[in-house]
Amino acid sequence: MSAGTITVADVSKFYGEVLGVNRVTVEILPGLTGLVGPNGSGKSTLMHLLTGLLQPSQGEISVLGVPPNRPEALFRLVGYCTQYDSFPGGATGRSFLEHTLTLHGSDGREARRRASEILERVGLADAGGRRVAGYSKGMRQRVKLAQAICHEPQVLILDEPLNGLDPMGRAEMIDLFKELARGGRHVVVSSHILHEVDLISDRVVMIHGGSVVAEGSIRAVRGEITAQPLQVLVRCDRPHAVAARAFELPHVVEARIVDEATGVLLRTTDAGRFFPELGRIILDTGVEVETVRPADENVDAVYDYLIGTTGSSS
Amino acid sequence: MTGPAASGWALWRRQATVLARQEVGRSLLGRRVLPVLLLGAMPVGIALLRALFLPESQRAHPGHSTTELAQVFHFFVLRFIVFFTTALLFVKLFRGEILERSLHYQLLAPLRREVLAVGKYLGGLASAALAMAATVAATWLLYYLPHGAAGLAHTASARGLGELAAYLGVTVLACAAYGALFLLAGLFFRNPMVPAVLFLGWEVLTPFLPGYLKALSIVHYLGSLAPVPVSQGPFALLVQPVPGFIAVLALVAISAGLVALAAWRTRTLEVTYSVD
Repeated sequence: MSAGTITVADVSKFYGEVLGVNRVTVEILPGLTGLVGPNGSGKSTLMHLLTGLLQPSQGEISVLGVPPNRPEALFRLVGYCTQYDSFPGGATGRSFLEHTLTLHGSDGREARRRASEILERVGLADAGGRRVAGYSKGMRQRVKLAQAICHEPQVLILDEPLNGLDPMGRAEMIDLFKELARGGRHVVVSSHILHEVDLISDRVVMIHGGSVVAEGSIRAVRGEITAQPLQVLVRCDRPHAVAARAFELPHVVEARIVDEATGVLLRTTDAGRFFPELGRIILDTGVEVETVRPADENVDAVYDYLIGTTGSSS
Repeated sequence: MTGPAASGWALWRRQATVLARQEVGRSLLGRRVLPVLLLGAMPVGIALLRALFLPESQRAHPGHSTTELAQVFHFFVLRFIVFFTTALLFVKLFRGEILERSLHYQLLAPLRREVLAVGKYLGGLASAALAMAATVAATWLLYYLPHGAAGLAHTASARGLGELAAYLGVTVLACAAYGALFLLAGLFFRNPMVPAVLFLGWEVLTPFLPGYLKALSIVHYLGSLAPVPVSQGPFALLVQPVPGFIAVLALVAISAGLVALAAWRTRTLEVTYSVD
């Protein structure tokens, strides 16, 4: 198992007779990886397995070369923001972080200094002295995130980290995740809201019913789904002309004028031949093109094709 | 990533100290202290009432109080007050955090699970020992105060202080042994009070058991260390008391063994709050 990646090899987890995850094999590289699937699909179970909060019934896991059953080594590398919305009774945001930091080995002064920095970073500088029990849902999410990043881990695992955040908070947190991932870290973010993952992830791992159904970049995953024609939206000044010419191509199965005749949606069964031929059509007809973009190279569409229902609806 | 300022034993000691301090704070400064105070107040209250209403004829004889205190200590303080106080405090070390759904934060630290178990145990032990030692000391004092100058002389004498030290030592050993038992029960049982009550039954039955079964109880060793011998009643099966140093060794070994089992259990502890 590579020391630079997170590897999950043939891992299953049973809760009694109930299957949590089923023979999952996946490799997670540095960067931002989205773990997507509907509620109950096994995302949290997989994250718990990665962090040793659960132990696999079978299979092996390695996080940068460290097995999860060695927490003393694992959590020097890993920070985990769980989905649990609970905290030790009576804790303030600051005391909670200071306690975490002292367990990481910081002395009192260093823990206080570092806690202040992290509270500032997650936007809780003014609320640090208040009890977490009195925080809003969004503030609790932030303090959980602070706990996960306070020791500057190489691997960050975030279970539904945007839950409860307002739009501005979501934007701030997404920027923070991207910043952390840009530094070469492994950032694994789970969400059942697919378009959210689409916005932030370099790669996705799609999970359904405890099994991984696809992994890779959205484009690569979409490219492998040959049973569903690729949808391409062409915005131009004369969509009817493009539609007429495109429909002559044998692999184009649908050409539909959309958005009050400002564009044409084409569906093709052969993406490899389609794009060169579309270029030729544009040149021949002399239309003025505003954009050409795939209309279903997003997590929602891919998930829908693979599972038959989008995760966001669950 | 931030690195630890210490490593190996030094780091483990520091982490165990942090955990122990946290547990002392939770046990003695939070809501958990209320039932502990209530339990601790019971023998003190009884001793206070006794001091107020002790017949005049008995006030001249501190020796009578010595015998009576020994019985109260053995049958009431050790078997019920210390037993239930340690049950309340130690069961909650893990079970309380599981019910509060906050145990995972401790499991997400770069911390050997064994250190977690030991740190929590030491915190529980410090809290229980502090609370129970205060109870025992206050009870002891209140038993001798009604005897006026003779009672005060006894409390200040080497014999009296030796007696108090022995009671305190037995109390701390009781906290250590029962505490380790309840730490383990909190890790294995969803409702640890059921095995706790069963074990209490075993402890109460101990005087009537043959010697080889007495050896499986905690109170048997604690009784051997009592500074004043206590009659176990007419139906008790009498056996030779365990020598003091063997009783201490046995209690330390029982405590260490149970804590080791608890530490082993934490190695495979999983976070499944929904089924806990």
